[in-house]
Amino acid sequence: MLLRLDSVQRHFGGVHAVDGVSLEVEQGSIYGLIGPNGAGKTTLVNVITGYVPFQSGGAWLESDELTGLPAHRIAALGISRTFQNIRLFKDLTAQENVLVGMHARRHDDTLAQLATLPMFRRDERTRIEEAHRLMDTVGLTAKAIGRRPAGTLPYGDQRRLEIARALALKPRLLILDEPAAGMNPSEKQGMRELIENLNKDGLTILLIDHDMRLVMGVCTRVAVLNFGRKIADSTPKDVSTDAGVIKAYLGTGGEREVSSAPGASGVDEAVEVVEAAATTKVAAEPENAILEVRNLSVSYGAVSAVRGASLSVARGEVVALIGANGAGKSTILNTLSALIRPDSGTATFDGLDLTVAKPSAIVRHGLVQVPEGREILARQTVLENLELATWARHDRAAAAKDIEAAMKRFPILGERRALSAGTLSGGEQQMLAIARGLLAKPRLLLLDEPSLGLAPQMVDEVFAAIEEIHKDGTTILLVEQNALRALAIADRAYVIETGQILLSGSGEDLLHNPAVRRAYLGG
Amino acid sequence: MDFVIQLFTDPIGFWNSHTLFIAQVGINSIIALSMFIVLYSGQLSLAAPGFMAIGAYTSVLMDQYWHTPLALNIAAAVLLAAAVGLVVGLPVLRLRGVFLAIATIGFIEALRLGVILNLPITGEGLGLKNGNSDPLGGINLVLVSLVVVLFLVWRLTKGRLGAAWAAIRQDELAALSQGINVARYKMIAFVLSALVAGFGGALEAHLQTFVDPSDQQYGVTRAVQILTFAVLGGSGHFLGPVVGALVVTSLPWVFEQARDYINIVTGVFLIAVIVFRPQGIVGRGGLAIVRPRWWPRRARVNASTPG
Repeated sequence: MLLRLDSVQRHFGGVHAVDGVSLEVEQGSIYGLIGPNGAGKTTLVNVITGYVPFQSGGAWLESDELTGLPAHRIAALGISRTFQNIRLFKDLTAQENVLVGMHARRHDDTLAQLATLPMFRRDERTRIEEAHRLMDTVGLTAKAIGRRPAGTLPYGDQRRLEIARALALKPRLLILDEPAAGMNPSEKQGMRELIENLNKDGLTILLIDHDMRLVMGVCTRVAVLNFGRKIADSTPKDVSTDAGVIKAYLGTGGEREVSSAPGASGVDEAVEVVEAAATTKVAAEPENAILEVRNLSVSYGAVSAVRGASLSVARGEVVALIGANGAGKSTILNTLSALIRPDSGTATFDGLDLTVAKPSAIVRHGLVQVPEGREILARQTVLENLELATWARHDRAAAAKDIEAAMKRFPILGERRALSAGTLSGGEQQMLAIARGLLAKPRLLLLDEPSLGLAPQMVDEVFAAIEEIHKDGTTILLVEQNALRALAIADRAYVIETGQILLSGSGEDLLHNPAVRRAYLGG
Repeated sequence: MDFVIQLFTDPIGFWNSHTLFIAQVGINSIIALSMFIVLYSGQLSLAAPGFMAIGAYTSVLMDQYWHTPLALNIAAAVLLAAAVGLVVGLPVLRLRGVFLAIATIGFIEALRLGVILNLPITGEGLGLKNGNSDPLGGINLVLVSLVVVLFLVWRLTKGRLGAAWAAIRQDELAALSQGINVARYKMIAFVLSALVAGFGGALEAHLQTFVDPSDQQYGVTRAVQILTFAVLGGSGHFLGPVVGALVVTSLPWVFEQARDYINIVTGVFLIAVIVFRPQGIVGRGGLAIVRPRWWPRRARVNASTPG
């Protein structure tokens, strides 16, 4: 056994980020770690690598105990990692990055260095040659990029360079935290081959990724985390059909039973998916669309996030946009609010061209976004948060009345009006964010992950509030990871996977479509 | 302008008539290298004037009371500065960025207002007479010292230690994941920086007939001046702060007619460098000039950069 964790615990305040996780990683295996957003995967990695101390439990790398060691000692023992949001030494050259990776196994040559002994030059040459070999291993050409500052490399190369730097430590265990995030399908394929090749050379790998095709494809064993607990630990095949895992990923449909989860019946889906996709994809688009998006493509530098997405929302509808983490859902909403500009495609909201309009003009025109993670002002009181939303209005009296109405709609906010917003629970903060959005008098409300990180009963309350707002006549475009929940209240829905709209249809249709499960869990 | 013309037409005359100036450039360069060491490891420490004061007073007081030779005085000054650096570093290095800067300002002001201006042995507020100073003859010692310190700092940045410092400056968390003991390497940088500042302080005192405990000498004003050396010259390359020290020290001489307004001249120059050359005068990218985002596209940037 290479790595062994024994009921590891880590709380942040009252949040059980990692709650008694035990697992064993076999020498020479590729071990997958998956789970919905906020499940505790990255916290677990931070605990293993010593970035975040344990509160209880233990960890061993073969016979070396890791419990309580500082991060640099754990790295020196042979656990090396990459980071979810690439942490290269950006101003150092690619080659220097890899050389820094050799720090832990390089003898201290400071004195030889000061004296400029020839021994030092020889060692340095050997190190540079090794760095070049490592870059070669991960598919980078040292000649072409070795002397370029790491921050100027294309995105995919930066991911690869981070792996080369991690390999320079000669690790016993390599932890990859979302190595394929933001990659296009062909880059993902390349990453998959790289992981397989490293493993073939005998390296043990712990892989975290949201791309289920990648995880299910390369891993020999997969563990699933949800709310800090391990809910499954088995072969990829067993995990992808596990009822508990499907529930964790797709959420629950309120009163609906888990057994109605798409594809959970266990019938062979391959054929069914193709058919279902073919039938649902042609689902009629509404005619009186208030929002019309055509062939929208958006990228962040070299990373393409949305590829040719088209969708529309009719007046009075609730439309859901569902898909796994990193599929491009929030990017679409942020593009509609003009926080990001698209590369190509059109987006019009009731006659307003969203690709050129200013964000403030878009809000005045009646398109309002409630952002992911609420973005409330934690130190201001609830009332101050709401007042800020009416700041640009001149009709003070009417604005005050609207605030009173908002507090009637969400009584909990009225009760806590004088408390600072940061002391509210996650669900209450979400209510506040929605109330703030409503004060801008939206005709179309964009909701980004309103159930993110909420306990199940809070999710119920938030969704009840959304349904009520809809009944009052507000059109809603809802982005959710909790697919079943969103589909249950949506008139229509779009399923998005790696930046492309995979299928669309009525909420009811998609609830029973196995392709939805595949979009989340691969297959 | 006479200053620049003489430098090129009559170098020997320049050397003889501007010995004090050249020595001051040398001292400032050594102090700038002390600043470079902490900045290179990613620490915004402004403690250098404090360690300079420790070096200066130790060396001069030893000379006054024990009549020990200069070499011994300087050695003791350097060691004491390093030892104080270790003690100050233990609590202070837990802080980062601007908080570290404020804590180190606290250190230099506490030392100056609380100790130097209060002890009878340091002359209280009146300063200290330095009987054995050598304002003109000290220049050789200063220049040789500068070359030695430059060489050592250059070599240090090239080895395992320097690589670790650069990694820490760029990203502490990523440095940890490479097995770099971040706390230890930051401490090494802080103590080495204190040592070099103490050395520079002792050398400077040797050139002056009077150790002046003023703010310009050992207080926040001096700290800001030293930071200016590094920002102006560039803190990514060991020659950067030295070039910065040379430029800042020369400005009052180059713009002799505008000496009353020299702080304005220096300020404008500093702003221009930060805008058009954010990495400093010496740094990656050769001598390329950066066009700021807000600069009108059609304007010729080269034509509009001062300096």
